[in-house]
Amino acid sequence: MVGDVNAALAVVLKDLRLTWRDRAGWLSAASFAAISVLIYSFAFDLATSDVRPLLPGVLWVTFLFAGVIASGQSFQRESEQGTFDALLLAPVSPSVLYFGKVVSNLIALLVMEVALLLLATILFDTMLITAELVLIVVIGTIGYVSLTTLLSTMGSRLRSRTMLLPVLALPLLVPMLIAAVRATGASLGEPSGSAPWTLLLVVFALWSAAGAALLFPSVVER
Amino acid sequence: MSESAIEIAIETTALTKRYAGLSVVRAVSIRLPQGSKTALLGANGAGKTTLLGMLTTLITPSEGEARIAGFRLADNHAAMRRRIGVLAHSPMLYEELTPLENLAFFARLYGVEDREARCEELLRLVGLWLRRHEPVAVLSRGYHQRLALARAIVHRPDVLLLDEPETGLDGEAVALLDELVLCAPGLTVLAATHRHDRIGEWAGGTVVLERGAVVEDTASRPVEPAATDEAATPEPAWSAT
Repeated sequence: MVGDVNAALAVVLKDLRLTWRDRAGWLSAASFAAISVLIYSFAFDLATSDVRPLLPGVLWVTFLFAGVIASGQSFQRESEQGTFDALLLAPVSPSVLYFGKVVSNLIALLVMEVALLLLATILFDTMLITAELVLIVVIGTIGYVSLTTLLSTMGSRLRSRTMLLPVLALPLLVPMLIAAVRATGASLGEPSGSAPWTLLLVVFALWSAAGAALLFPSVVER
Repeated sequence: MSESAIEIAIETTALTKRYAGLSVVRAVSIRLPQGSKTALLGANGAGKTTLLGMLTTLITPSEGEARIAGFRLADNHAAMRRRIGVLAHSPMLYEELTPLENLAFFARLYGVEDREARCEELLRLVGLWLRRHEPVAVLSRGYHQRLALARAIVHRPDVLLLDEPETGLDGEAVALLDELVLCAPGLTVLAATHRHDRIGEWAGGTVVLERGAVVEDTASRPVEPAATDEAATPEPAWSAT
């Protein structure tokens, strides 16, 4: 158990270090996200209308596509350098490796999302850094990253991997996106309340994480 | 456990791998004793890399059975993988990390207790200590191979599976390979190679593959009746030292 935790931590720290050293992919995703939010802020009439009902869609569409651009990076690098095989040779369960990958992707994506929430707060003149909203973003991102990490592993050995991830991920993420958008809307003042949607989001995140962790050993088998 | 089982480090029984119905490795049966050094020979496409891939647990066999260090391959024990070191075609290194970071990462992944001391020892041995803080990407192919060699033995394995280990190495590095691996006492080595001129310097026997099947084997021990009774025992053949 201690060995597994240590191995997962080693993967997390190594991936974060690699993400920092080779920032190109994540910078592309962050640039895309920042430009998207900027364009949305110009598209909406901030002076005369309440933009809060539109913000959940703006945020999650931006998170989704920025995440798709960024989250394939880790496995793509491992595949190109042949290091994924070296990971699989290690005396730890593939699920431990999967957990390490999920945590490192989660941290990197959350940093980008929090920065995006700050930018959106300024551009839309609406307070988006609230405990409730940050919690919804964290839960939604856990579900999202759990699934996309598994799918990017599946696609890492294929030549058409850049196309495969969005094609596979987007339909599977629809339930999570609906729950995330509705929970975000409720936290921004919609009358329905965020609790039921947040609960659905939690269920999706747990289902994604557990299902993907169980499937991962089969996915990496040759 | 019989004396015979203790002495056999790598044992395969009718090990077969098929891709889309085509047999790449066909019913390979070998029995390599502990501490033996065996050259795996064969032309390109003979199945050497696939056979090594199955023994490293990266490729799942279609049929047959194998035991490494007394563990059944099919069980894929973490304890078994801890005893195997692998040096493949690709050096399997993170180019954005430094040699020290690469080695420290793999040492941690394998649960090496004296991590810092072991990394320093190996980096000095392979001649990379002075370049330990430079990214691997700026090092030459020869240095990649030296570092890959250090990575393969960082966890002090009992069995080493090598795929053309001399590729990209200069004379000094080949001597290092001999010292650390190919001629190291006690270490069981199975190495695919095309360097026929060097086999006599390190190999005690050869296994020759042709179209996936063994056509010559001077390395294996004959099967003894007592050894077959041990087939279901999941215990390791010998303890790590």
